[in-house]
Amino acid sequence: MDVAAMRATFAKAAAAGDEAPLWFYAHLFLSHPGTRQMFPVSMAHQRDRLFQALGEVVARVDDLDSLLPVLRELGRDHRKFGTLAAHYPAVGASLLATLQHFDPDWDAARAADWTAAYELVASVMIEAAEEAAEQPPWWDADVVGHERRTHEVAVVWLRPREPFPFRAGQSFSLETDLRPRLWRYYSPANAPRDDGLLELHVQARDGGPVSSALVRQLRVGDVVRLGPPGGRLVLDGDPDRDLLLIGAGTGLAPLKALVDQVAREGPTRRIDLFVGARTEDAHYDRADLQRLEREHPWLSVTLAVSRDELSSLPRGDVADVVLQRGPWRSREVYVAGGPATVEATLARIGPQVPAQRIHTEVFAASRPGPDLDGEVTA
Amino acid sequence: MTNDVHGPGGGDGRLTPAALRAVTFSRASMLHHGYNEHEVDDVLRRAAAELARLEEENAELHQRVQALQREVDGVQVPEPPSEQAVRLLSVAQQTADAYVAEAEDFSRQVATQARDLYEDQMHQAREKAGAIIQAAQEAAGSITGAAAPAGDGSTPSAEELQHQVVYLQAFGEAVRHQLRSYLEALISDVETEWGRADPASVPLVPLHAHDTGPAPRLPEQVSVDGRHEAAGAQALVTAPD
Repeated sequence: MDVAAMRATFAKAAAAGDEAPLWFYAHLFLSHPGTRQMFPVSMAHQRDRLFQALGEVVARVDDLDSLLPVLRELGRDHRKFGTLAAHYPAVGASLLATLQHFDPDWDAARAADWTAAYELVASVMIEAAEEAAEQPPWWDADVVGHERRTHEVAVVWLRPREPFPFRAGQSFSLETDLRPRLWRYYSPANAPRDDGLLELHVQARDGGPVSSALVRQLRVGDVVRLGPPGGRLVLDGDPDRDLLLIGAGTGLAPLKALVDQVAREGPTRRIDLFVGARTEDAHYDRADLQRLEREHPWLSVTLAVSRDELSSLPRGDVADVVLQRGPWRSREVYVAGGPATVEATLARIGPQVPAQRIHTEVFAASRPGPDLDGEVTA
Repeated sequence: MTNDVHGPGGGDGRLTPAALRAVTFSRASMLHHGYNEHEVDDVLRRAAAELARLEEENAELHQRVQALQREVDGVQVPEPPSEQAVRLLSVAQQTADAYVAEAEDFSRQVATQARDLYEDQMHQAREKAGAIIQAAQEAAGSITGAAAPAGDGSTPSAEELQHQVVYLQAFGEAVRHQLRSYLEALISDVETEWGRADPASVPLVPLHAHDTGPAPRLPEQVSVDGRHEAAGAQALVTAPD
């Protein structure tokens, strides 16, 4: 397999920018019209994602050890889109046609190499998907509660119809019929419960099609679909170590799940939870956090506001408020929130706590899914 | 008739072409020319049966061939789409993308404006409410101030009570602040000196000392609940008496 030649071919397609994925999808939909309905109306983000993923695969094609886990994850995750083994040859044919179209030096040798590489990728993905066959490709979940807490935040309660195994702090992708074919990632704000309920914190992003619909249009009785859970913001390491949890906005959700896990399963440890918001009114879950604090003497909750001069709450970016209350040298640290919050918190806390004890999750406006390093990022 | 007909493939069994070719009949008798009628009839009967079976099998095979042919026609690799078609669909997709992006952008603008307006109104309303409360307090103060000379000294006037409340609130705030600083310093010491403090003992030392009295648990009151501060102030009001 001539990896250098393959990379050269891919570079030519990538150099064409949006043209190449545009060509690919048009070719795919014309050859197999049935595949069109598996994608959202707007394909702009989809095109970026496809070539990003392909680029990663091409970059690692000679390093199977790092490529295989990624492909297996992709294969498992694609089950929720309704992808079947029969779809893979169709995608392969259109991919080859696209590469050929954009590479003037395309020849039989390159065609053979790419065919072989694609068949390998497809077989790994199909195999992983088949191995996961004992769990459903997605979980239907009924909306059993929907509370508008603020102008733009709603707390949604879901009850999956089948058991939905996950760990506190993990996230999953979600699709609603209000916005078909758009999957977005959310973290439950609770550890697994006996009644199976999931508490979701949803913030309507300005112009965000899915989040706006979930906050403003979703109703009790609606059904949403959940993809398999993933993510690494889970409690591990030394169970005796006290926790410092720092969240901003709905980044509170996975942190509250960790608190819930300690409350349900122990072992008891001190937890300091800091939550930042722009204004006092934006602290949408204040009442429930107070309840938790009353019930658990080991929990201390601090709310901070960054832009509210009338509030009596501690003022400033949550990272600064955390720093003032330090030191935190002995803690296991979990951070969840927007990119700016996470970055600022790392800058403040980083000098106090070794990197392996800081766990972060970035909540960005649109999170397409775990990337090739397993991180859930924008 | 020879054994060929009645041989391995013979009797009532299937009549094979080889067996048919090898058939020989015995003479009917010394008096009659021709073959033995019984033997001929028997071969004809078996030949007809075999023909019928083959016809049936043939029809069945024919059906299967047709079914397979239909299947093959179904999965026939479609002609690769022409470059013109691909370009046309690409343009259509781009148009759709542009519309969706435009709609999302519009929605973003509207949502941003709505939020700004909402926060602005809330802010104004809170400021206005604060001003009204202050004006009302001042008015109440001046009314009770005018009525004060009527007091006989044994019952404190409203103004005195109000001053006392303000004083006690400030006192409570100061005490709480000091306690918090003290606790935080204590916690910091524990953490820095002993590294990982015993999770069971740490919260108990500072917090439970105050759980016995009417004073509220400090971290909750201080850090989370602005509205609980009133309750905290009341609890502290009783302390200095």
